[in-house]
Amino acid sequence: MDPSASDDQKMIMDSSARLMDQLCPLAEVRATTYRDAEFALAYRRRASELGWFSMLVPEELGGGSVSDNGVLDATLIAFERGRRLQPAPFVGTNVVAYALAEAGSPDHKAKVLPGLTSGETSAVWVPLPTAPGQGISATRTSSGYEFSGRSTHVQDADSAAWILVAAETDKGVIQALIDPTSAGLAVSPLDSLDVTRSFAEVKLNGLEVSAAALVGEGNARELVERQLALACVLTTAETVGAMDHDFEMALQYAKDRTAFGRPIGSFQAIKHLLADTSLMLEMSKAMALAAANSVGTDDGYGREAASMAKAFVGDCAIDLAQNCFQVFGGIGFTWEHDQHLYLRRVTTDSALFGGPAWHRERLCQLSGL
Amino acid sequence: MPDIEIEQFRGEARSWLAANMELRPRASRLGSSDSRTPEEIAASRILQRKLFDGGWAGISYPKEYGGRSLSAAHERAFREEALGYIMPDFGGAGHVMFGAIGRSLLAHANPAFLHRHIPQLLSGRELWCQFYSEPEAGSDLAGIRTSATRDGDRWLLRGAKIWSTGADHADYAMCLARTDWNAPKHQGLTWFAVPTNAKGLTIRPIVQINGAAGFCEEFLDDIEVTDDDIIGEVNRGWTVAQTMLVYERGAGNAGAVPVEPRRLAPDLVTVAKKVGRDTDPVARQLLARAHVNDYAQFHLGRRVAARLRSTQTPDPAVAAYGKLAAGTLAPIRARIAVEIGGASALAWDAGDISGPRQATDYLNGRMGSIAAGTNEMQRNGIGERVLGLPREPSFDSNKPFSEVVRAARNWDGRVG
Repeated sequence: MDPSASDDQKMIMDSSARLMDQLCPLAEVRATTYRDAEFALAYRRRASELGWFSMLVPEELGGGSVSDNGVLDATLIAFERGRRLQPAPFVGTNVVAYALAEAGSPDHKAKVLPGLTSGETSAVWVPLPTAPGQGISATRTSSGYEFSGRSTHVQDADSAAWILVAAETDKGVIQALIDPTSAGLAVSPLDSLDVTRSFAEVKLNGLEVSAAALVGEGNARELVERQLALACVLTTAETVGAMDHDFEMALQYAKDRTAFGRPIGSFQAIKHLLADTSLMLEMSKAMALAAANSVGTDDGYGREAASMAKAFVGDCAIDLAQNCFQVFGGIGFTWEHDQHLYLRRVTTDSALFGGPAWHRERLCQLSGL
Repeated sequence: MPDIEIEQFRGEARSWLAANMELRPRASRLGSSDSRTPEEIAASRILQRKLFDGGWAGISYPKEYGGRSLSAAHERAFREEALGYIMPDFGGAGHVMFGAIGRSLLAHANPAFLHRHIPQLLSGRELWCQFYSEPEAGSDLAGIRTSATRDGDRWLLRGAKIWSTGADHADYAMCLARTDWNAPKHQGLTWFAVPTNAKGLTIRPIVQINGAAGFCEEFLDDIEVTDDDIIGEVNRGWTVAQTMLVYERGAGNAGAVPVEPRRLAPDLVTVAKKVGRDTDPVARQLLARAHVNDYAQFHLGRRVAARLRSTQTPDPAVAAYGKLAAGTLAPIRARIAVEIGGASALAWDAGDISGPRQATDYLNGRMGSIAAGTNEMQRNGIGERVLGLPREPSFDSNKPFSEVVRAARNWDGRVG
């Protein structure tokens, strides 16, 4: 993934890869073992030992990263996760841990954050709407806020211990950390295109939120924007990992499969398709790393770089999976073959936290157009 | 180790330039077209001579042939210092001449030849071009058909060449010809130096689709050359060609590192504002696409460089990603400009400069996907050398070339 990765970074990627291969290989993903709460907890605990949920949290709050760019470290882990289509809210838990470390109340930092970094619990984030018919608004009440609205397609909302919800008010943006068992909150599991992860719809109907639950004082718009950039970088990195593996499978197939007396990969029709597809993959890797570096070093172009990566990779990933499908031919239609799992996953990733068109429009706005 | 510390060298360059060269007017744009008038060429020759006499031409060329035997870093330092001055400008022909041609000559020509020609080349007295591609050999460069036939102690060159940058201003050409038709195609080739005033040589500029004429075509009608004009060895020309291609692909890369693009496609935003489409969601999507692609292309370039650096045995084939990205994205960008510009990119007032610029860019949009290695050749390179896919069966690399030509004419698709 990263030709400039340090030895420490390579080591954490290797250890993470070994853990996943041992604990949650694709056969377990296919069997949806991840829906089992005990399995999920055991997996999180092991992963937390490798620092999976600590990289965006400063050391004084129990976090820590391998290099001086925790976003890049988490990006490299996300890439390895994507290659193996790993379940569970890695992106959500990291984004929420980051938000709590940045702007959570002392209670959040003392009681919630340690659970997240140690893998005891997980969390998901409901961002501001990126599609029509979505979104949550909040109105002031005497004791705090009342949240109403909905967000469809929230990964693992039905199993997370915490949901961080961003909402528009008439005075700006606020965020609240919510216990999913609260009255006024309904989480309904959904069937989904992606079978490697769980998705649910989150509905809030006059949910009462006390001031103590707020994350980020006053207007949290800037914090929410940084969280969005992080969510985009990590989701994109998982996508690029999935692309990498899907492409590897298709490439091997083109070398092994023979037709008309020769390997199909010797035909220019297939060779050129794969060359173009590998260019998409190279550019997608470059984009994911550029965004991770930009966001992680706070170089002033992170929001733009994250949106660009999300837009570019979101399109390329679907093209790549479709091209690989074409190379596989009939076998790609079988449940048994892994190709469809990758197609399902990257198509879903493309839409999470804003699709390509949404991020292109956002780029225009960030650029002052 | 450099003979002179770079910074000291830079200082010397700075004072020499200030004392001897003229500052470039601020607004003047660095030439993007390759066509030059005879007057421009004459002026550039004078400037080149001035550089040579001052010791600033061929900085990384060997001393014995009029250079300075310094490093590429010195060369770069001088180029950076010279940015603000009017320098010799031979267009694309300059890159070819001081890059691909000069370097291949140094690598393969004999010392007598080099003494005869390199100082002349460095001082602007001999401008060189390539006679390489042919009307019937583009991507398949080893399939050239210009022949060189032995006739006593001379050789007679006969055939046609094309896409020779700057041949109409050149004094010499480096010409690839077939010296053995009974050998397989890569093994019967030889390079010759040909003076452009040779009897039997016709050079014609080619008017391109945008009206400019940076390239020429040539007709060689029994041009007489001798053994002294041979570059490298007889029938070993493909080795020279490979050296040349390496430098040709690297040409122009020695300059400044491009900067990460952080402004949303400024040229296209100007067009969108001019036609009142900067608030149109369709146009905004296109603007964002153009910028995202620019940004992705820049970071791909960085990635390719990092990949080449990260291994002990770098595979130069990886560089084909950069060429393919440019060749794929440039036509898309040119199309986006025309799409955003709408009518204003299709017809304009005679005094307008923005309309014709989009039209010209549009017409030139496929330059990168065809010139110096088509997208298809890059895809072959990536497919076979980077991804390790098996080659297509070859019908032309082992038979005598004369048979290859005959078989191609009678191609019936039956190969056994």
